[in-house]
Amino acid sequence: MYKEKDDNFFEEILERNKYKIYRICNIYAVNPIEPQDIFQEVIFQIWKSIDKFEGKSSVDTWVHKITINVCLRSKMKFAKSNDKTDRFESIHFTRIDKEINTSEQEKFNYLKECISTLNETDISLIALYLDNLSYTEIGVITGLSENHIAVKMKRIRKKLFECITPKIKC
Amino acid sequence: MYNTKNKMLEQELKDIWNNASQTAKISIETNQLVEELNTKVSRIQKKIRIRDIREMSASAIGILLFGYLLYEIPFPITKVACGLAIAWFVFVILKFKKSKTQNIKTDFSLSLREQLNNQKTMMAQQANLLDTALYWYAIPPFIMNFIFILGLENPADYNWTNSIVAKILPLSSNLKIITLTGLALFYAFTFWVNKRALTKDVKPIIERIETMQQQIKK
Repeated sequence: MYKEKDDNFFEEILERNKYKIYRICNIYAVNPIEPQDIFQEVIFQIWKSIDKFEGKSSVDTWVHKITINVCLRSKMKFAKSNDKTDRFESIHFTRIDKEINTSEQEKFNYLKECISTLNETDISLIALYLDNLSYTEIGVITGLSENHIAVKMKRIRKKLFECITPKIKC
Repeated sequence: MYNTKNKMLEQELKDIWNNASQTAKISIETNQLVEELNTKVSRIQKKIRIRDIREMSASAIGILLFGYLLYEIPFPITKVACGLAIAWFVFVILKFKKSKTQNIKTDFSLSLREQLNNQKTMMAQQANLLDTALYWYAIPPFIMNFIFILGLENPADYNWTNSIVAKILPLSSNLKIITLTGLALFYAFTFWVNKRALTKDVKPIIERIETMQQQIKK
């Protein structure tokens, strides 16, 4: 199994997508699940599925697909095994010591708070949208038509704006 | 005006979102990670193998035990029960094997919609297995045990001597009643455990999946 996998390809995928994956995991992580735990599970599933990648969509879209599916599964408490709590020693999360812009952090917290008021599938859509994915790519990930996504996004954006606008203005 | 304002807000939100991960650095040592991932895969495969062996070995032991009793015990009704028990153990092995081949493997590279459909089918299969456990996992062996015990007669009538087996078997009426009561309680407990797993674990997940399917359709 191991020989079939291309380590360089895997490394390239991780380097390019690790922060995108982490941002989505961060939105879905609800106590006691830590974003790091979901992040590791996503990495594990990417590793397991890498042989099956057929190139029908871009690698980044494929990574997003796995990330969304794993995050939603973690919310459904599918994985009851202890495996997910075993932290990989090869992945390090370190806080950057540079002065954190508190206003930016505060705005992100507001955004996170407002996103959490949405339902699970709308959270996936907005996360993909904020990650600058096109409706076509979101369609590939969710299995919905572009028109359907456009309608849903209009509603989700409205809800999100209504929630966040007064908070940001304060 | 409204659109421009919203577009600005939208861009601001995208910037906030994309800058969010800049407060933490994620460093990955790929070579070590690959080793850890391979170890994890091997560990999971080992766990699955052990579970399969455990499931199958219980039935295999049952087949051997009842095969021996079928050969050894002279009482005709009990012999029939032994034959039925062996058939039931074979059925259980086949049922587990069939349920494994029917198992849909979780494929995370499917679209969200397909993934939810797959998960629902998978959970429905599990629910069905647990829901019908009474009819294939509890009642048949209890009936077989009942016939087995009921068929036990006086060994002297058949000139049968096997002190070890005779000591284990509930030959007196009192022992028969006690054994049957114990078995009835045991199978009732098995049934309750299955029902509990169905209502506490499986059904809530199915409901959750259905809610998500509704959300995505809307």
